[in-house]
Amino acid sequence: MQHARKIGEPILTVEGVSLAFGGVRALQNVSFDVREHEIRAIIGPNGAGKSSMLNVINGVYHPQDGKITFAGKVRQHVDPHEAAARGIARTFQSLALFKGMSVLDNIMTGRNLKMRANLLLQALRIGPALREEIEHRAAVERIIDFLEIQAYRKTPVGRLPYGLQKRVDLARALALEPRVLLLDEPMAGMNVEEKQDMCRFILDVNDQFGTTIVLIEHDMSVVMDISDRVVVLDYGRKIADGTPDAVRNDQAVIDAYLGVSH
Amino acid sequence: MAGELDTFPRLLLHHAQVRPDRPAIREKDLGIWQTWTWREVEGEVRALACGLAAQGFKRGMSLAIIGENRPRLYWAMAAAQSLGGIPVPIYQDAVAQEMVYVFHNADIEYALVEDQEQVDKLLEIMPQCPQLAHIYFDDPRGMRHYAQTALMSFDNLQAIGRDFDGRNPEYFADEVAKGSATDIASMFYTSGTTGSPKGVTHTHQALIAAGRAGAEMEGLDPSDEVLAYLPMAWIGQNIFSYTQSYVVGFCISCPESAETVGTDMREIGPTYYFAPPRVLEALLTQVSIRIQDLWWGGRKAYAFFMDLARRVGGKILDGRPVPLADRLLYLLGNAFMYGPLRNVLGMSRVKVAYTAGEAIGPDLFVFFRSIGINLKQLYGSTETAVFVCVQPNGQVKSDTVGPPVKGVEVKVAESGEILIRSPGLFSEYHKNPEATAEAKDAEGWFHTGDAGYFDKDRHLKIIDRAKDVGRLADGTLFAPKYLENKLKFFPYIQEAVCFGQQRDQVCAFINIDFEAVGNWAERRNQAYSGYADLGAQQSVYNLIRECVEKVNQDLAADPTLGGSQIHRFLVLHKELDPDDGEITRTRKVRRGFIAEKYAPLVDALYGGKHECFIETQVRFEDGRAGSISATLRIADAKTYPVEAAKKAA
Amino acid sequence: MLKKNWPVVALIALLVAGLVAPLATGASAVGFYVEVLLGGLMAGVLYSLVALGFVLIFKASGVFNFAQGAMVLFAALAVARMAEVMPWWLAAALAVVIMVILAWLIERLVLRPLVNQEAIALLMATLGVTYFLDGFGQTVWGSDIYEINLGIAKEPVMILDRLFQGGILVNKEDFVAAIAAAALVAGLALFFQKTPTGRALRAVADDHQAAQSIGIPLNRIWVIVWSVAGVVALVAGVIWGAKLGVQFSISQVALKALPVVILGGFTSVPGAIIGGLIIGVGEKMAEVFLGPVLVKAFDLAGGGIENWFAYMLALLFLLVRPEGLFGEKHIDRV
Repeated sequence: MQHARKIGEPILTVEGVSLAFGGVRALQNVSFDVREHEIRAIIGPNGAGKSSMLNVINGVYHPQDGKITFAGKVRQHVDPHEAAARGIARTFQSLALFKGMSVLDNIMTGRNLKMRANLLLQALRIGPALREEIEHRAAVERIIDFLEIQAYRKTPVGRLPYGLQKRVDLARALALEPRVLLLDEPMAGMNVEEKQDMCRFILDVNDQFGTTIVLIEHDMSVVMDISDRVVVLDYGRKIADGTPDAVRNDQAVIDAYLGVSH
Repeated sequence: MAGELDTFPRLLLHHAQVRPDRPAIREKDLGIWQTWTWREVEGEVRALACGLAAQGFKRGMSLAIIGENRPRLYWAMAAAQSLGGIPVPIYQDAVAQEMVYVFHNADIEYALVEDQEQVDKLLEIMPQCPQLAHIYFDDPRGMRHYAQTALMSFDNLQAIGRDFDGRNPEYFADEVAKGSATDIASMFYTSGTTGSPKGVTHTHQALIAAGRAGAEMEGLDPSDEVLAYLPMAWIGQNIFSYTQSYVVGFCISCPESAETVGTDMREIGPTYYFAPPRVLEALLTQVSIRIQDLWWGGRKAYAFFMDLARRVGGKILDGRPVPLADRLLYLLGNAFMYGPLRNVLGMSRVKVAYTAGEAIGPDLFVFFRSIGINLKQLYGSTETAVFVCVQPNGQVKSDTVGPPVKGVEVKVAESGEILIRSPGLFSEYHKNPEATAEAKDAEGWFHTGDAGYFDKDRHLKIIDRAKDVGRLADGTLFAPKYLENKLKFFPYIQEAVCFGQQRDQVCAFINIDFEAVGNWAERRNQAYSGYADLGAQQSVYNLIRECVEKVNQDLAADPTLGGSQIHRFLVLHKELDPDDGEITRTRKVRRGFIAEKYAPLVDALYGGKHECFIETQVRFEDGRAGSISATLRIADAKTYPVEAAKKAA
Repeated sequence: MLKKNWPVVALIALLVAGLVAPLATGASAVGFYVEVLLGGLMAGVLYSLVALGFVLIFKASGVFNFAQGAMVLFAALAVARMAEVMPWWLAAALAVVIMVILAWLIERLVLRPLVNQEAIALLMATLGVTYFLDGFGQTVWGSDIYEINLGIAKEPVMILDRLFQGGILVNKEDFVAAIAAAALVAGLALFFQKTPTGRALRAVADDHQAAQSIGIPLNRIWVIVWSVAGVVALVAGVIWGAKLGVQFSISQVALKALPVVILGGFTSVPGAIIGGLIIGVGEKMAEVFLGPVLVKAFDLAGGGIENWFAYMLALLFLLVRPEGLFGEKHIDRV
């Protein structure tokens, strides 16, 4: 798979992160890095701590130990909206769309960070606030075009089929123009055709915008196909880290998860 | 002569002069309608033409055009014509291999396509078509890594063109002036039901004459609005959206995508509209489904008003007398039901709507007319540049195609075949003199291959394809298409294939309409797991049997066709598909091919069996091959005594 | 669908029957009926306003704001007292600023520290805020009854006397109040639907985590929401205060708003409005028409229906449709 952009230096580094909820240890001393412009997959059996890892990266959970370095800045405690402001966007496994709004409005909320005009001007819809609104609308329309959901712009998201809702979730994350995109099981519950479409979109995002992508995925063929490097978690610990081929043949991984052969 | 408006490029220059700021073409992009005026279109076409010229495109060459309706592809047509070249539009959903023949036949060296999907197909066939040297693409999405030298973006091509134009400012005007009305303006490949496609060539003169005749008859003017949504490769789309737009000067609008056609149509509100019967069927099905979901009161109101409309709506549209009470009720219905319905369909402003291509079910036809949409039938073909017969306002009937258009001569031969002579007739089948000689005789009559006759109002009635009109073993007239159409008028039947040539009775394959039958089953709380499973259920067979028996009753009333009632039928486990070669891209049934492919089923039908196992090869959408198998039930249908026979006896 | 919801349908049918009964049975002149109806509608508008404040806060932060009534009183007191030394509109403008500061303080000192606690803890906290506001308000502004003079005549006006025999008595103040409330609601609707901030508010109301993850700062949003609720409370307070005089009993009005949100649904803005109107009209109608009937039928002492009608209706709705007319059924996300 050819890349237009060369994979660069590590943009996100996880060092010695441990996370526990009461007595349950979700993550234990996990360390890995993510290089700029790459597609990094996090895999592992159910309960391995994958979603927790993503939640730590974008600040939903605060780890007891360890630190995260993003774009040169070290931090342990950050709030989700700060993470978003710094350039980390994410999608959710169970879709956290704003059910009462249309597709267009949902994606427009993603532009919130980039809006500068103050509240009063916004309320009156004049001057710089209006110009900004138009700019943002154009950006959102380009995303709608990119993900081919023009026919559903005005539809309330609650009425869309699951596959399309997932696309709207992705669109909303893209609206932030993030440097790193965290995808939590973007293809869960999709049929073959929908998965193919989603793979195509993910590859296009990585290729066209150079976005670094960290994704959690269960479908092995997808992981092998589109990721550059893979991290394997099991019971909260990292048990392998490398290219898809290397990981596929790693004994520890096979034992934990993949079975005899896949 | 250069001064006359007898070629498309000269028409374009004319509009750019007399209505430079009027809208010529629109496209919905990023959610809003972008408009180009006639003057702007001239500029774009000029840049494009000069670009092609700079790239070596010469007079007499062909330019393949492949994609959805996009302004740039329409400009490509005009650009090619400006240089004396021939645009060849090709169906955008054609598979790569299907295009090879056309590319060879038309000697295509230059192609202008919409997007990556089309580019991929052309790259695939390039080894087989070595003369293809230039591929221009409009949408750059996904094209970042393509390094082939033959590829160039539309923007680049125009940039080169502007540069060329700057250095040779007289070139464009000179080339346009060199064009003559008898030059070939376009080539359209007919998807033949048998054999390879044939390239139908039309001169500027022929297309413009046909377009003008139609426009004059309907009183089209520059304020009309048209939605360009049917494939560009189809002659009708070219006539309604390109030819007539250039002849009359009205604006056409390209929808955002195939899925948004409904919304876009509502936004544009076209005044002049064409839809093939299957599109109208789909629209009616959607309306019916929404009505079924209404509460009890709503459904009752709908039934009442539609009944009223059925009785008097058509008459009101025709300007015929209607009792005052009914008229007032209709006005009320117009405010609450027909008006909103027209609005939902996007047809609020339609002055005239055509349908053609297949026979249309009388119920469907009447539905649209009854709610105030001036739907009319017309008859024509690729070879005749569409306008042969058109129903004039006030003379609209559901079972004819109308009288001949001004300037067109129609006669019916001994054999029943319809012959046509007109200014809009094609020149020849490209590089195929035998087929041309077969179709056009020495006196210039085109043999349409359709069978029909004139009724008492001098309206033409089409029965079937001439070669398909056959006889049963006992000599009874057998018109399979006629029977199939009658079956397809039922919403539950999507497609039908009738067999009976030289046999002692007529039998049929049926494809159910998944949406309609699925809804029907759901309302009766019947579960089903897919198309094949639904079709195999006993209740569905009973439903279909009722439809078949109704057709038989109808046939029994006609002495000529009464002997061809349908005795046995089965429901197929998969839909007939152009990708499997069973029907053409315009959804015409390939009877011979189907008879061969499903021979075991045909044998079972005539062998009196009650079920039959069949395994069929299919092509999935991504091109892979596979097979589907099923055991199909065969059912008998009741037939009725024929009218005339009864009277005689 | 009808079969499943028969209790709600029955209840609504009963209400509608009660509404038209006085007219249908000829027990009342049409003019008088319309007067009572209008009076009920106007009272209902004010209930809606207070309920609106509840709904806004509940939607955006999931907190049931016990202190809404106290906010109404506090705002009214502020305006009443400041208006003694400046024109009333200036007092109102300053009061808006005060309410915004109050919102900021509440977010900082009460909401933020308790952000991940259980709902009951937050409820208790708002209870605490109630008492604080009550006490603090009295300390700063005094505990007498104060007047708010908006410059509108207090005498009722007779209208439509050609249409209805004897005409209809309408209170000019009430009329202006209704217009003001309607304008406020319309303005809020526009704000929520059409501006980016409004969109952000709707996003937060829908899903906190997702809203945060796209960069919407919850804290700032909460300040905005409580400020808006504060302004709504201000409008309600000024209107009530102008009508009844600013006094402690105004905060009791908030208690009436509870049946309104039960009827309309805790998370529905249209529900708050419609619920308020239903309660307002229902109360008045019950008091004027049902009262005498009950007194006669059961030989009771009579009167006081207005006090309990709203709560009884709310109870019935809790039994029959707990999520309210427009609210969402409660679904727990696991």
